[in-house]
Amino acid sequence: MANEPIRPSTPDGTAEQSRSHTTTPAAGPLRRVAAFAAGAPFTALVAAVEVAIATAALGVPASTAPVAVGLVAFSVYAADHVADAAGDVGSTPQRARIALRYGDQLMLAAAVSYGLAVALAVGAGPAALALVLVPGAVWVGYATDWLPTVAALVAPPGSVSVPRLKDVFLLNSAAVALAWAVAVVAAPMAFAGVPVDPTDAPTVALLFAYVAARSFVDVEVPNVRDVATDAAQGVSTLPVVYGVAGTRRILFGVDAVAGGLLVAVVATDAASGGVVAALAAGLVVSVTVTALADRLDGSTLGVAPDCSYLVAGAVLLAIGP
Amino acid sequence: MCVKNGMAALSPLSVALLVAVTVGLAAAILAWRERPEPGATWLSALLVGQVWWATFLVFELEAATLPAKALWYDVQWVGVVAVPVGWLFFALAYTGYDRYVTPFSVAAVCIVPAATVAVAAAGDPGNLLATERVVRETAVGTFLDVVPGPLYYIIAGYTYLLGAVGSVPLLQLIRDDARPFRGQSAALLVGTAAPWAGSVAYITGAIPIPGLDPTPLVFVISGVAYLLALSRFRLLTLAPAPRRRARQLVFEQLHDPVFVVGTEGYLVDLNESAAETFGIDRRAAIGQPAASAVPRYDAVRDLADGGDKPRAIPIVGRDGRRPYEATVRDVVDDHDRTSARVITFHDVGAYLGQQQRLNVLNRVFRHDVRTETNLIQGYAERLRSDATDERALSVIDRSAGRILELSERTRTAGKLFDPTEEYASSPLPDVVDEAVADAREIDPDARVEVGRVPAVAVSVVLRVVLKNLCSNAVRHNDGASPWVQIDATVADDWVDVTVADDGPGIDPAEYDVLDRGTETPLRHGSGIGLWIVKWGVDHLGGRIDFDEREPRGTTVTVSVPVDRSGVPSTDR
Repeated sequence: MANEPIRPSTPDGTAEQSRSHTTTPAAGPLRRVAAFAAGAPFTALVAAVEVAIATAALGVPASTAPVAVGLVAFSVYAADHVADAAGDVGSTPQRARIALRYGDQLMLAAAVSYGLAVALAVGAGPAALALVLVPGAVWVGYATDWLPTVAALVAPPGSVSVPRLKDVFLLNSAAVALAWAVAVVAAPMAFAGVPVDPTDAPTVALLFAYVAARSFVDVEVPNVRDVATDAAQGVSTLPVVYGVAGTRRILFGVDAVAGGLLVAVVATDAASGGVVAALAAGLVVSVTVTALADRLDGSTLGVAPDCSYLVAGAVLLAIGP
Repeated sequence: MCVKNGMAALSPLSVALLVAVTVGLAAAILAWRERPEPGATWLSALLVGQVWWATFLVFELEAATLPAKALWYDVQWVGVVAVPVGWLFFALAYTGYDRYVTPFSVAAVCIVPAATVAVAAAGDPGNLLATERVVRETAVGTFLDVVPGPLYYIIAGYTYLLGAVGSVPLLQLIRDDARPFRGQSAALLVGTAAPWAGSVAYITGAIPIPGLDPTPLVFVISGVAYLLALSRFRLLTLAPAPRRRARQLVFEQLHDPVFVVGTEGYLVDLNESAAETFGIDRRAAIGQPAASAVPRYDAVRDLADGGDKPRAIPIVGRDGRRPYEATVRDVVDDHDRTSARVITFHDVGAYLGQQQRLNVLNRVFRHDVRTETNLIQGYAERLRSDATDERALSVIDRSAGRILELSERTRTAGKLFDPTEEYASSPLPDVVDEAVADAREIDPDARVEVGRVPAVAVSVVLRVVLKNLCSNAVRHNDGASPWVQIDATVADDWVDVTVADDGPGIDPAEYDVLDRGTETPLRHGSGIGLWIVKWGVDHLGGRIDFDEREPRGTTVTVSVPVDRSGVPSTDR
């Protein structure tokens, strides 16, 4: 009721809404732009570079794949940042503030970006279209909540609980890594209209495994930064479960696997020397970032793992495939 | 690995279509995100239909062989038929006609589109969709030139039909007062008119490139229009859908009874409250002469539109007799012609009662209490000089007693006006017995006779009324043994209770004041007892009559409705 008195909620007589709150200081325009760029646009750039490297590694003709995958990455991450803005305030306050303030504009940009990616895919043919539609279809599935509905139909409610993929330990990072690997390896072929030749299969498989392993590391490293908030929210990540030192050992192991895959590439002559050199340079950056994981500050740790691809791309540009 | 660079080979037509895909899909995503706002799902269905059509037209253009082109041509039909269906149901849901958007109506509307897709999927048996397909190479692209078959014309006509039906409610919005809705509907109509124009141009052969259907190309315009409507005019976040229902709801749920009377004097509509309050059958009343349904129509019909100061008209309804103020408003159309009059009845009983109560309490304090206090003060002075003055003591004692009684009755009157008070019902004989017992207590010598009292239920408020009448009859009687007779009769759900006495009679000025409802410093009643009787009767929606008895005395008749709250009603 409107006339109900506001009852003080504390012994000092202040009500919740009249007490002062500590807010993080607002950043200057330049820092805001930097914080925005470090989010979805940076991820989009990394995705584009990854696909360009994969294009060179697979030896398929140049196509619009890097641009399209970059656009999809932008729209997926921008939409995700808008959707999870309230929950991200603790871990990435700058990015969350932008997402809250410019939510509608970011969603418009994400929608146009995805539309553009689909248009590029349509121009490249049915296979490319099918590939680009996957994230959209997943999003529709999530947004319409048909997964829990189906689960509730199959099993009576209460007997089996279907957890969100995002909350399942290891499976969440593995799923993201696999999605990246599929996109990065399949896009160059789909957009160039190249069918998988049996003779090319080892190259495709090695590259797929390499990208999956590397992506897994890139996803888990920023979790070192979020260890406190994740633990508080009950989200299980490698640093939460095994501690920072344990996480570092595991990630070194995964990087070692990636290194082994590179050796296999060299041994089977599956890719050119330039590509192997570029991937090796990226691996070195990744190992370095993993080693320094607990000593880098939050915002640096958010972008540092992905920088390995930028280094690899620069190397590839410098020495040629 | 073999080399085929797709982008380099794209025809100009395909590039234009890709722009349509981009804006169309972006708008579809934004629309989908607005669910469950009214129309959001259908708008995204419409836009996905457009994107689908444009997408597979690109595939058709870029395919190398006739069978491949024919395949992609057939796939396009899914998008082609989705567009008008999405449009129709979007327009209905968005403008608040969502009662037409049911699983049944959707299924019915989808029959022709589904049949078309089925024919296309079956490879167009009997050349229903296309009688001839040839590959036509032009400067803008290589596409399938189709000679339409009979089903093609059917689905085309059907598309135009759905498009026209959907545009009607949106065109109404364009004339709306609210600017956001005008902007929204203008953008939507541009978005729809553009593909139509393209389609008409194709069917009439007005396109310079023969065989080219420009409709999907024009989706660029509609996509931009929908994007604008969504982002600039807040198409789905500010949808007009609830307005229709809200306005309807206000009319239906309004506490005041409302009648709508056409210019020819026939009843056009009435709300729930009107039917309920005056016990009118809505179905039967609509279309009847207004005089047969609208209470006191003769008195209210001549009220000027918002002119004269409204006067309270007593009307007997389901809650008994209550005073109403009627207001009349003209319903004026866009050409300033009066098409109907809206008559609203406002129950002012509570308001009038409160006014009277303030008036009377004011008088009680200003006059009655003051008079008694003066008396007490005067006789107290006499006591000071002669402490043994017994008369002074008894005058003070009686005066104080009257003030106490006034205070008690004021409390009783206050209870009658308590809006939270819920009054139970009680059998009439019990109510009468209590009033009689009360009167006998006041004067044990009083002869109180009770005639036939039918056993009907009445509100317990009648107890207050009868107690006051009986105690007044006994108290103000100057005879040695006062006589009071109580009788009751029932007719047509109304109870008439008469209280007759052989006292000196009530001063006509007293009940004249009750009748007029207002007191003035010069014309006022004495005490508060008769007012309590009046307020109690008013509360019950009844009426009260005073008559002189021969040779002496008064007969008071109280008519109140029988209390039916405890009885399961049959006519509601």
